[in-house]
Parts: sequence; structure tokens; C-alpha cells
Amino acid sequence: MAANTKQRFPSVEVQELTSEMIRFVLRGTDTSMANALRRVIIAEVPTLAIDLVEVVENSSCLCDEFIAHRLGLIPLLSAAATEMEFPYDYAGDDEKKTDVQIDLRVKCVSDQTEDVTSNDLICYDQRVVPVGYKPTIRAGGKDDDYTVPSDGAGGDGGGSGADGGILIVKLRKNQEVHLRCVARKGVGRDHAKWQPVATAVYRFEPEIEIDETLMGTLTEEEKMAFAAASPAPVFKYNAQTKKVEIDTPESYAYDGECLRKAQEMGVPGLVTIRAKQDAFLFTVESTGAIPPEEIVTRALEVLAKKLDVTKGELDICAAEQRETAA
Amino acid sequence: RVCPQHSERAKRRGTMNQPSRAEKFVLPEGVRKLTFTRDTKVSNAGTFIVQKEDHTLGNTVRMQLHRDPNVVFAGYQVPHPSDNRIVIKVHTNKDSSPMQAMTEAVDHLRTEVSDLSQKFSDEVRAFKHQQGNDGY
Repeated sequence: MAANTKQRFPSVEVQELTSEMIRFVLRGTDTSMANALRRVIIAEVPTLAIDLVEVVENSSCLCDEFIAHRLGLIPLLSAAATEMEFPYDYAGDDEKKTDVQIDLRVKCVSDQTEDVTSNDLICYDQRVVPVGYKPTIRAGGKDDDYTVPSDGAGGDGGGSGADGGILIVKLRKNQEVHLRCVARKGVGRDHAKWQPVATAVYRFEPEIEIDETLMGTLTEEEKMAFAAASPAPVFKYNAQTKKVEIDTPESYAYDGECLRKAQEMGVPGLVTIRAKQDAFLFTVESTGAIPPEEIVTRALEVLAKKLDVTKGELDICAAEQRETAA
Repeated sequence: RVCPQHSERAKRRGTMNQPSRAEKFVLPEGVRKLTFTRDTKVSNAGTFIVQKEDHTLGNTVRMQLHRDPNVVFAGYQVPHPSDNRIVIKVHTNKDSSPMQAMTEAVDHLRTEVSDLSQKFSDEVRAFKHQQGNDGY
């Protein structure tokens, strides 16, 4: 049977893995699979985001829906998303399966501008907190009505950026914002707030060949100039062997600078660069909601489920066809 | 002349015809996810219509079908981006049938994804292990 040629067994090689991004090479499959993986990573990996906002008090300079929109875009740690259900799928009564409560209650009592950030959110489920959450310390106990940030110790309520939390709104003296929010599970396809990645891209792995005979005709300066022509570290000039060597071919961004340089120097065939049609360099940058390697794992699970559902439906169809034929 | 936002028609229909976002992935009651229609004029040919799917599935299945030597024609389209369905047309020779070709294609893809999933997990684990060692 020709079945063996139809089945592919791709390979993966992880090149870089940090808490924010993963870079890996996918080999032995075709563009449609790589693209499907990319599309699923961006649009179909479920995360959690604020979806419902009930406004109790808003005397800030931004209107209700403006603040609600901003709240939705705050990335929330979504490890709990796997245990939760989509609100449109779930038919039961247990609210904990679909909703997570988050509150926001800040009043500006000082003469200085109060910055309301994601650190001021009161999260009732400790697993579902904003990315980089450093909760602002409340002045007083549970009975205290307002979250008054104490300066310095603990979280820094003021200022935006990694340490200060994501800025939501700024308040003047006596302005108050009091909201009750519900975070729900969703996918990027529904709304971009549920997208787990800042971006997920792939490019073809390049295959670079240097024509050594032509290279031999160049002077040392010309070789150095050629190696420096490409903005990415594709080539390097080895002073010891006096040759241009390939340094990191995968950093090539298909800009064609080195080809232009070769043309300029009068040696157009110096280097040939082809894009391998079955090797893909993926870069997946997470927003922090889900660790990058976890995003890819879940994406593959989602893709597998899609195929499973399709297979199930095909089986039903096939059975019906047999029945009608019989 | 009344501006479009305040015309009587606008007040009746609303100024936006925007469908709910859930239409992209929620299958309504009574609607089949996948239907197959045999081609009446050609033998061993048929059309699959899959609801609430897009190029993610369509292109992948189509390219896999092309790898089947028994498949004479395989193509897919998204008839309209607002409609959220894909139409896959398959035509095989007499050694196979559209249903069989499609089932095999989806099977092979499923195995490929499982395999990839396993390999990826293994690779990540090995990489982290190595990172841990290098760190020391």
C-alpha cells in the first residue's frame, strides 16, 4: 500500500526557550500544517479575560465602556482555563465553571493623581490574576472601603511598566472607580483580548551556498565588506582562514542585502539562497498568560481535537451512506 | 434628506448588521457539522461541507488529499468569509472513494499531530534539562 508515503513524521528542534518566548524549528511537514499550527496558536488556544463589567461607581475621566474595554485587554494568568468551560458550551448551574470574579475599587483621596493599574484589581481566585501581578497593599482591614496604595512597600501602584502594573485609568482627587468584573474563558477568534500570544510567526529555513571559486577571486576587504553587508549575522569573516563562513543561516530575514552587495561587487553568483519548503522557524511570543511552550502544546491539542471531531463526523456520514446504499 | 444613521430604515433594522461573534464557532441546534453530497454526474466524486471551520482545517486537509495517489481532484473554498463554512470537493479514481480518501487524510493528519505533540513535549523537556545543566 502507498500509505507510508502519505504519512508524515515531522521533527522539532527547540532553539530558544525563555519565560516569554520560544523559538523552534519544525521540519518534515508542509506549509499547510505549519500555517495551521500558527493559526491555532493565535486564534484558538483558550485563555481567560475579563468579559463582563458591572459599574457601581465611575467618576473618572474615562467613560464606562472605555474602562471596560481596557480591563478586557489585561492579560490574566490562564493556567486555570483548562479546567473551566466556555460560557456558551456550559449548560449547568455551577458558576465557578465559567466565571471568575475580579473587583476594582479605587478612590483618589490625595491631591496627587492616582494611577489605577492592574495591581489594584482584587482577584478572588488566586490562580487567575493579571500577568506580573503585585497586588497593591490595602490600608486597613477587610472593612476598609477603599484600596489606598501605601507608597513604596509591596507593589508600586504608581507608574506603568513591568513593575507598576498595566495602567487602567488615572484619578483626580475625589474621583472614584468601583467595578465588579467577571473573567471568562474564550479564544482569540472571538475577541483579540483572548489571544495568548503577542505574535506567532514562522519563516522558511534558508539554505545558503557560497560559491567558493568566486569567493576566492575577492580581496580580503571585499570579503569583509560582503560579510558585513547583511544586517543579520548570516556570514562572518574568519580572519584566520581568510574565508567568509556561514555563521547563523537561520537569522537570515530574506532581505536580499547580501545578494545586492554581491551584485554591486560584480559577482552576482557568489551566494545562492533558497528557502527550504519543509523547514519552518517558529517564533512564539507569549503575553504571559500561558508559558510559551504550553501555548504550543495546547495548540497541538486543539488541532488534534479539530481533526477528531472531523473524523467522528466523517464516520457518521460514512455509516449513513452505507445504510442508504444497503 | 435624512442622514443614514437616523433614517427610518436604520431605526427599524439597527444601523449595524453585525452577526454575533459566536457564529464563527458555535454550531446551532439541528445543524450537522459535516455533510457529504455525492456528485450526480461524475462517479467517485463528492462535496464535503464543514460548518464553523476555516482555512486552518480546509487547507491542511486539501494538501493532505493531494498526497493520495488515488485522488484525481481535491480543492477547498471558503465561499464567503461571513459564512463560516468550508466546502471541500474530492474526486478519486475507481480504486478509492471521496469518503475513503477523506477519512484516510484526516487519519494521517491526526497521527501526524499526535506524533508532533509527543516530539514537541520531549524536545521541550530535553531542552529544559539541558538548560538546567548549562546553568550550573
